[in-house]
Amino acid sequence: MGIFIEISEKLIESTVEIFTGMVMMEISVAGEPLSSLGSLQHSITGMVGLAGTHKGVLAVHFPNQVAKEVTSSFLGVEVDEINEDVQDAIGEIANMLGGNLKTILSDRGKDIQLSLPSTISGEKYSFTSQTEVDQVILPFQAPGGIFYVEVELER
Amino acid sequence: MAKNVLLVDDSSTMRKIISRSLRQAGLDFGEIYEAGDGQEALAVLEKESIDIVLSDINMPNMNGIEFLREKGNRPGIKDIPVFMISTETGEDIIGEAKSLGAIGALKKPFTPDKVNEVLGPLM
Repeated sequence: MGIFIEISEKLIESTVEIFTGMVMMEISVAGEPLSSLGSLQHSITGMVGLAGTHKGVLAVHFPNQVAKEVTSSFLGVEVDEINEDVQDAIGEIANMLGGNLKTILSDRGKDIQLSLPSTISGEKYSFTSQTEVDQVILPFQAPGGIFYVEVELER
Repeated sequence: MAKNVLLVDDSSTMRKIISRSLRQAGLDFGEIYEAGDGQEALAVLEKESIDIVLSDINMPNMNGIEFLREKGNRPGIKDIPVFMISTETGEDIIGEAKSLGAIGALKKPFTPDKVNEVLGPLM
């Protein structure tokens, strides 16, 4: 699990950098990493898959209200519903974090491939892996609520 | 003369952010054109007068590496400079992009200051 300590430290750094530098929103770490999340309600999840020497997924989970505030700040326009702009913005945040995760796991970059980002959303859903994985879930406090950055890597 | 810029990224959010960053960086540029993947970018390059391309790598249909390769085979557009803006900044991938003609790379996330520092000399 040593690699998850490094992953956690660098992903915290990257997440804060993305939010302060690009989303234009101040965030902070909201407590210790979690090992499971349970079901998500009225939320949207952005994710990218990793294939190659490390297989897994990086996901960001936002309650709908936080996702709308994040997108509004990111784009500089008011967003009041979960629409294509929100899906694209949340997918792009996952994409940037996935790129950082890839850099952490692979210095040269060709032994790990990133998928294109995708999003899911709904009133109630769970985010679980069908294979044996090691995972870490990092909670962050945004002005409108808590969101999570999750990494799952196949054992 | 101000340069016309083509932004190539499958994320409409990222195209808006790059466009905003160019303005916030105070760079002198002309028209900004947009494309969602390499295929669309080739079509814009064949039709419009573009001075510089800022392109993502990880895109559907035709990614940034495939775009550079195909553009290099088209005499009318092969010399238009391309600068990569991507989460993909591993040495191997950027090395491949540069071997296909990319003139540099900027890592996402970026700030307007970084955009100014890196892209200012090209504008």
